[in-house]
Amino acid sequence: MNENIFCTPNPVNDKDALDALLRDKRGQQYYDEMKRLKVDTAALKKLVNDTCRSRIRTWLEICAHCGMCADACAFYLSNDKDPEQVPSYKIQSTLGKIVKQKGDVDNAFMRYAMDVAWGKCTCCNRCSLYCPFGIDMGVLMSYLRGLLFSQGFVPWEMKIGSGMHRIFRAQMDVTVEDWVDTCEWMIEEYEDEWPRLKIPVDKKNADIMYTVNAREAKHYPDDIAEAAVLFSIAGENWTVPSEGWEETSLAMFAGDWEGAKLQVKSVYDAMDRLKPKQMVVTECGHAYRATVIEGPYWAGLKSGKTPVETLHYVEWVAKALRSGKLKIDPAKKIKEPVTYHDSCNYIRNGGLSQYGREIMSYIAEDFREMTPNGEHNFCCGGGGGLNGIGKYRKERNTGQKVKRDQILATGAKLVITPCHNCWDAIRDLEEVYKIGIRWSFLKPLLLDMVIVPEHMKPQKEENEEE
Amino acid sequence: MFKKILFATTGTPSCDAAARVAFDMAKRYNTELFIINVFGIPSRSFSQVITDLRTGDEIDLHDDQLVKIKNKLERRYQQQIHDYNSPHDIVLTDGIPHTEILRVARKKEIDLIVMGARTSTEENTGSVNRHLIGSTLQNVARSARCPVLIIGRAAASFWGGISNIIFGTDFSKGSSQAFEFAFNLTKMFNASLHIFHAIDISSGPFEFTKNQEVIEDRIREVRGMIRKRYISKMEGYNDYEIDVWEGIPYVEIVKYARESFADLIVMAHHTKKMAPPEESVFGSNVEQVVLRSNAPVISVNHPARQKK
Repeated sequence: MNENIFCTPNPVNDKDALDALLRDKRGQQYYDEMKRLKVDTAALKKLVNDTCRSRIRTWLEICAHCGMCADACAFYLSNDKDPEQVPSYKIQSTLGKIVKQKGDVDNAFMRYAMDVAWGKCTCCNRCSLYCPFGIDMGVLMSYLRGLLFSQGFVPWEMKIGSGMHRIFRAQMDVTVEDWVDTCEWMIEEYEDEWPRLKIPVDKKNADIMYTVNAREAKHYPDDIAEAAVLFSIAGENWTVPSEGWEETSLAMFAGDWEGAKLQVKSVYDAMDRLKPKQMVVTECGHAYRATVIEGPYWAGLKSGKTPVETLHYVEWVAKALRSGKLKIDPAKKIKEPVTYHDSCNYIRNGGLSQYGREIMSYIAEDFREMTPNGEHNFCCGGGGGLNGIGKYRKERNTGQKVKRDQILATGAKLVITPCHNCWDAIRDLEEVYKIGIRWSFLKPLLLDMVIVPEHMKPQKEENEEE
Repeated sequence: MFKKILFATTGTPSCDAAARVAFDMAKRYNTELFIINVFGIPSRSFSQVITDLRTGDEIDLHDDQLVKIKNKLERRYQQQIHDYNSPHDIVLTDGIPHTEILRVARKKEIDLIVMGARTSTEENTGSVNRHLIGSTLQNVARSARCPVLIIGRAAASFWGGISNIIFGTDFSKGSSQAFEFAFNLTKMFNASLHIFHAIDISSGPFEFTKNQEVIEDRIREVRGMIRKRYISKMEGYNDYEIDVWEGIPYVEIVKYARESFADLIVMAHHTKKMAPPEESVFGSNVEQVVLRSNAPVISVNHPARQKK
């Protein structure tokens, strides 16, 4: 029997347990306990037997160790081409071994596998693009994370993140009341400048149901207000759900399959309840991947699609610009050199590359592509949950060198990052490497340059002077 | 007039003057007192590690840490807390400072926010902090649904014996709210209300600034506007003065305040858009006045919050 308190195979399901875990500063006791965490080899064997299907077994077997994936990996490149950073090595030496040995592995091995799964890979999937066999490393790595999570070998922050989703249906401790109150607050906050602004909550049969990242409610509520202003300017009939508003999934990053399913189901339930024509997801990458690409399978939806059609925010913006719902004041376009960071999760893994370019054609006079870009872009360095894991901070910072050099080569000082995780990572990149850049979501930039229809402007008081 | 005061502090010497006013007012008017300290900004994604606003160091969101910060804060204001001698509420939180200050002000239905401002003599607090103080002040003053009392220089930190109130107007919508508040204060203190406007000659067409006759015509016009807009609403209260000067607005108002022995300046802070961080260091008219004036400044921008 394990006598561990924090580091156990059991997920965090209640608030007391979560609070206790949070009190364990930087997971000191948690990681100490992990050294004593016994591997339940029988359970691991059974899990592998039950869940490791032919696709994963085939991929593991047909990997020719050709090394084509090596140069594709930002971590391999930024760690002086360390052979242990070659993606095929990373997966074969971890998942490959668990499968080959039918779960008969020890504690030290599991901790090594954890270091690889979260500290050496952001699941950006760039390597898969260069694999001659089309082996999907992201799927393999995510599967490995699931196996590790089931045994309790998961970074402290990821265990917390999964617990947050299980308890709050959000990646942070934001309750339904907090969320709805934040929407009301933002209307008050913006009513002077945008007198008729509304954030309709739980409106049925709207054209758009909008969902966000919990960080917006927790720390950046202006993001919600900015979205509301842009929807209003575009004349959209939209709503936010009171429950099922959170789009992200740290549970996915944690390998908590059950938690990830609970989270997306809350969003799909909101769709069923409110029956919108479409859903639009905020500027977040992994949220799109979790809820739109992978979520339907977790929830057992046979179609493999979300209950209603879902657009990423960049798709909505591109279409709104194309149709003229949003019109840009040509005089206010971005004049300085500007570059655009492609988020792996909805560009490479979601196929939405063209929308970023289309948006840039409307808003920037001097758009500089990074090289490579689009589906071939490099990860910001903080994907897959790595951004928030203290234990692997050093690895994260090193991994960002590739992105740093890509940005520097464009000569642009402004980086557009329509993804919360990338936005954080690029901000940190500036903090670590001090290359003199600024970074922004699309919303505040669009608000600066969009033409506001007369009926949305505040009425001027008599004699009022600007 | 004030039932709930929120004192927003960084817990550093730059807020000592503001603390003096906040505690003094809370005691004098027997108000509830809330103290908020936003000690760190989220900077490590979803993790529990945040950046300390004072030192730029990493700190953990952790019970012991919170107790430490709270103790430090209580030590700093030990004497004032002792003199105030009533229950007070300390809110410690991480987050973006202006967001959290505004969030608490709304939740607790605060009537007055008291804040400090960086001054030229202040210790060098590092780049993280410098931009943040300016932008926090701007954002709070712009958005708060209650008056914001900003204390810049230590000399501005003596509240009491209010007999000369200056209302500086730029005729914006916010100024109308500021006037209403200034007039109510004037009546409450039975004070003298100095209504002031400065014609900005630092910008605008060259011909305008060159021609003194044009300026003087404009002065006459503005005096008329003041009568029509404000004096007409003063219900016959006759202890007032109207003055219109030309110059750089924030310099003129500081000079005017000095000459009028002002005890308090009331202004609107109505910049619609946030200036980029590098510019907010220099700040708006209100900030410039705060930094230069010997009198405390109250910024009013919105009608009083409707009680739920």
